Amino acid sequence: MKRAPIVLTGTAAGLIAVIGYHAATPQAALTSGTSAGPGASTLNVGGTSTTASSSATKSSAATAAKTAKTTTASSAQTTRSAVGSDVQFQYGDMEVKVTMTGSRITDVSVVKADVYDQHSYEINQYAIPYLKTEALKAQSASIDGVSGASYTSAAYEQSLQSAIDKLKA
Amino acid sequence: MRPGEISYRHAEPVMGTVVSIDVRPQGLPMASTRAAVARACEVLHRADEMFSLYKPESPLSRLRRGEIELEECPAEVSDIVTLCEQAKVASDGWFDPWRLPGGFDPTGLVKGWAAAEAAHVLEAAGVGAGMVNAAGDIASFGRPSHRDAWRVGIRTPESPDLLSCVIDLRGSVATSGRYERGDHVWDVVAGRPAAGVASATVCGPDLVLADAFATGLVAAGSAGLDAVTGAGYQALLLLEDGESVATAEFPSLSAV
Repeated sequence: MKRAPIVLTGTAAGLIAVIGYHAATPQAALTSGTSAGPGASTLNVGGTSTTASSSATKSSAATAAKTAKTTTASSAQTTRSAVGSDVQFQYGDMEVKVTMTGSRITDVSVVKADVYDQHSYEINQYAIPYLKTEALKAQSASIDGVSGASYTSAAYEQSLQSAIDKLKA
Repeated sequence: MRPGEISYRHAEPVMGTVVSIDVRPQGLPMASTRAAVARACEVLHRADEMFSLYKPESPLSRLRRGEIELEECPAEVSDIVTLCEQAKVASDGWFDPWRLPGGFDPTGLVKGWAAAEAAHVLEAAGVGAGMVNAAGDIASFGRPSHRDAWRVGIRTPESPDLLSCVIDLRGSVATSGRYERGDHVWDVVAGRPAAGVASATVCGPDLVLADAFATGLVAAGSAGLDAVTGAGYQALLLLEDGESVATAEFPSLSAV
């Protein structure tokens, strides 16, 4: 039987949990500021913030957005983008671009990924989108997680974080 | 999530990736829950210190260079060697970290092992239910209060934004694929990178074994399925030609 994939829809608000930035959605999760380690935590009571933002998107846009890229603001919220710093990593260097609408991350993309060899090229082709997947999965109220082989780079996170910091400044 | 159920999520950058932890305290006080998550993260970082091949001074790196003997390594290293031996036997030799280019490399198993250890810490601390997702290898215990099981999507090999299917997860699930790090899955029998299977997903009670089976199945293909079901595990293979093969009791909720 041929596979028919299920399309994950939604915005990238879930990325917040991964990179340590907390959006202020109307029904936002309580933020835990006391977590140990460099990671970020959110505390959700009776419904996640990502569920709230997904349903808000659906109800405000009659033509439901299919992907993060086409999600548009329903009100006077502005859309801004910033490119993070050029970060060197084990296999090369990269720059990550983040787009925010209001206080929500709506897209994340790699604008530059210079790598040293074919193996590294493959890593970038297949693995860099992992954090984006984590972000997208958090939008779907019907699943708790995603299983898939992956590899992520600290450089991705670092450049992404710096892009977000630019937008917040 | 049913109104009233508390969910506490944490994302920890470790082991060259991000491990996400989702716990449902289900009665455990929040302070205790946070403390349990912090201890689970310590377990992940210790695993990274022991087994990172990117850290030249990790015990595993030194062992591979022949600078120290296994007896001189921390206890976790010999535990992993034992688990590798067990996984090799259980998978009929399809998972064999001794036959990889560059010498003994148990890192295919370490991420799952660390996630399972972290989940044990959470459960022992009295957390009602939890899921530790080490970049796609997931250890879980308990269940969300409104469902019979955790619900987990399996991504397609082609795109991280697409799911092949959704499963009801009780226990553990691991996925290995050629897309992961280029041709990093090595066919130990043929002595070359594996081809044919785009990704292999294995569900079962123990994440370490599920992880080893998934890695082995990318090389073995359908030929390796008997060993998997014989051990009480279920598998889904997504093939490079777009076809898929699943064992009879693979807990899929939707078509693949």
